[in-house]
Amino acid sequence: MLLTFTEQQLASLLPAYLRLDSSLYIKAIGPSVVEHMPDIRVGMRCTDVFDFIHTDIEQFFDNTDGVKPIRLVSHCGRTHLFGAAVFDKTGCILAVRHVLSEESMNNGTLHMNDFGYADPVVLSTMLISLQRAMLEESQATAIELAHERERSASLLERTDRVAGYMGHDFNNLLSIIRLNADRLLRKFGHDEKISNLAQIIRETAARGSNITQSLMKLSHQQTDTLLPIVIDDLIRENDTFLNSVVGSGISFDIDLQAATCESVISYNGLLNCIINLLINAREAMPHGGRISLSTSVAHGLATSKSDSGDTEPSAYIAICVADSGSGMSEALLSRAFEPLFSSKPKGTGLGLASVRDFAKEMGGDVWLESQVGEGTTVYLHLPLANPSAEAQTAHKFGQSADAPAIGTRHILLVEDEPYALETLAEMLEAEGYAVTPCASGEQAMQALEQQAYHVLLTDIVMPGQTGTEIARKANLDQPSIKTILMSGYVPDSASLEPGWMFIRKPMDSDELLRLVASAV
Amino acid sequence: MYGMIHRAVRQMVFDELGEDAWLALEHKLGIGPTELLTGMVYDDALTIAIISEASARLNISVDACLFEFGRYWIKYAEHGSLASIMNFTGQDLASFIKNLDRLHLAVGAAMPGARLPSFTTISKEPGRLMVEYRSDRTGLEQFVLGLFDGLITRFGATGDVKIAEHKANSIVFELQYQDES
Ligand code: HEM
Repeated sequence: MLLTFTEQQLASLLPAYLRLDSSLYIKAIGPSVVEHMPDIRVGMRCTDVFDFIHTDIEQFFDNTDGVKPIRLVSHCGRTHLFGAAVFDKTGCILAVRHVLSEESMNNGTLHMNDFGYADPVVLSTMLISLQRAMLEESQATAIELAHERERSASLLERTDRVAGYMGHDFNNLLSIIRLNADRLLRKFGHDEKISNLAQIIRETAARGSNITQSLMKLSHQQTDTLLPIVIDDLIRENDTFLNSVVGSGISFDIDLQAATCESVISYNGLLNCIINLLINAREAMPHGGRISLSTSVAHGLATSKSDSGDTEPSAYIAICVADSGSGMSEALLSRAFEPLFSSKPKGTGLGLASVRDFAKEMGGDVWLESQVGEGTTVYLHLPLANPSAEAQTAHKFGQSADAPAIGTRHILLVEDEPYALETLAEMLEAEGYAVTPCASGEQAMQALEQQAYHVLLTDIVMPGQTGTEIARKANLDQPSIKTILMSGYVPDSASLEPGWMFIRKPMDSDELLRLVASAV
Repeated sequence: MYGMIHRAVRQMVFDELGEDAWLALEHKLGIGPTELLTGMVYDDALTIAIISEASARLNISVDACLFEFGRYWIKYAEHGSLASIMNFTGQDLASFIKNLDRLHLAVGAAMPGARLPSFTTISKEPGRLMVEYRSDRTGLEQFVLGLFDGLITRFGATGDVKIAEHKANSIVFELQYQDES
């Protein structure tokens, strides 16, 4: 097949072509070469304007059958051409094109018109540039998305905090309303009319309290009351329910040896933990087996050996859940507490992680021991709240605390809301306690220097010194003092020390009195 | 259209009215950074909604906004990494327009799913070009007018663009211009 092209057709297919005669004189020049080398002329010898790279000029026309690869650089060094020489009877055509790189595209020396319409190098080089542009934009987008995420997170945090503050302030007001309604009932309860009105106020305050509680839950505030709880009683009270969690086909033994020992914890929190541990144990034994749940009191490090670094030996209640399942390998064991990690096909991986969070928050710890083929034991250790109760057990830790005589039970009461302070003081005095009311941390500090107290009952959020700061100081000065904190919310549950009790506002008078009585 | 186009509209609103105006627009349309992902194809309805919301904020008609966006796109593509592609496409108005299809060919290869236009120069005289525009979209005439107007400015010329003829499947634009130099 023989194709003939006019110079114009050749120019649009190969804008940088050159036609030479057999003595290498230029007979025609493509438009792109003219554009880039304005001094080049028809009639010049090609070797006067170009260097032929790796080509022996003397033997250029020796073998003219095929196509000869060729590379040219202009003497000025600015124009690089490569392609092939195609020979005919009169000489040859240099079917060459510019060397296009991203760089020559960026610096604007070469343009699309310098290349033939179908030249694939144009498409591929533009593609690279385009993809670079898209990549840059994508990186900018990624940064924008990260900022956006930060913005929403901080907005959420602010909303959380505002909801928390609002809940707290409402709870303070509701607390005053509720305590005063109780006061009315106590003083004038015999008058049916007043009693009715007081009941209405009380109930309305309780409804308001439900609303604030939802608000606090929404803002992820802890709403549970932390009370000294007899762990063995908790297990006993829920015995039937726990049996149903384990289910049939598995034998379930309960061995309670912690007697009346208490730990200051959230009732529902611990119950949830035990349920989680039992579910895990049950699921480790799809074909049945044995689970034992036991409690005991011990003295030593309440935390696992691995992170026992800075903990002091102390008395604690140990809750153990042991199963006779297939056990866990080292690798599984090391990841068991990771949130969202689960070895079970349908597991959420939240069970053990939430048990660990709870244990840490209560000042205790949890860990696992396991042997493949022999089962797994979970140890949940919680700090002991009441050394006097502990004294009733076989072990003797700390000094025994005999209950003081009526009238000598001294309570240091700290509350910055004057109405709440007045009401609480009156209520506690009516029960026979000797109360020192303080409206600020400063007053409380002075009071602590003057006499010994059995109980510190303090609000948490106050201007100046906070309740937790007062409690820390009081515990340092008077180690036997029992601490009860009250608040509309707990700003940071980690700031509560083991053994401290917590009651959520608005408080129920009876519940508060029970708590104070248990503390003394 | 591709998120790349949305980002350019955003930049135009930023430049003209500031960041707050754009954030208000996002809020009104219920969109955010996820509607501005460069390499993502969005429904044309969203692109049009963005343009018409921008026009309301710029206090101009949707047509005027499309025209302005056409002009803006040329400036937008002159900066950053797209600049080398623009420079490479052509050094004068006529050859740039002649090469537009090759430019969009590369765009099509880099951005699968893009529905790209086609431009053919049907007559070329000194200071006058007749260009035929084909697209499977309708209603973008004002955008194309703005693009050509922007190109005339880009090449240091002054002039005018108008629609010369509506054909069955295409529109012919007439560009009249004088080189400043
Ligand atoms: C670097 C430069 C350019 C790039 C990266 C680019 C890219 C694009 C992209 C991504 C689209 C959207 C396609 C879709 O999402 O379906 C588009 C559409 C379009 N482009 Fe370009 N473009 C460039 C330059 C130009 C220029 C200079 C013109 C001038 C006339 C132009 C005219 C158009 C038109 C009219 C459309 C609308 C599509 C239609 O009519 O259907 N573009 N371009």
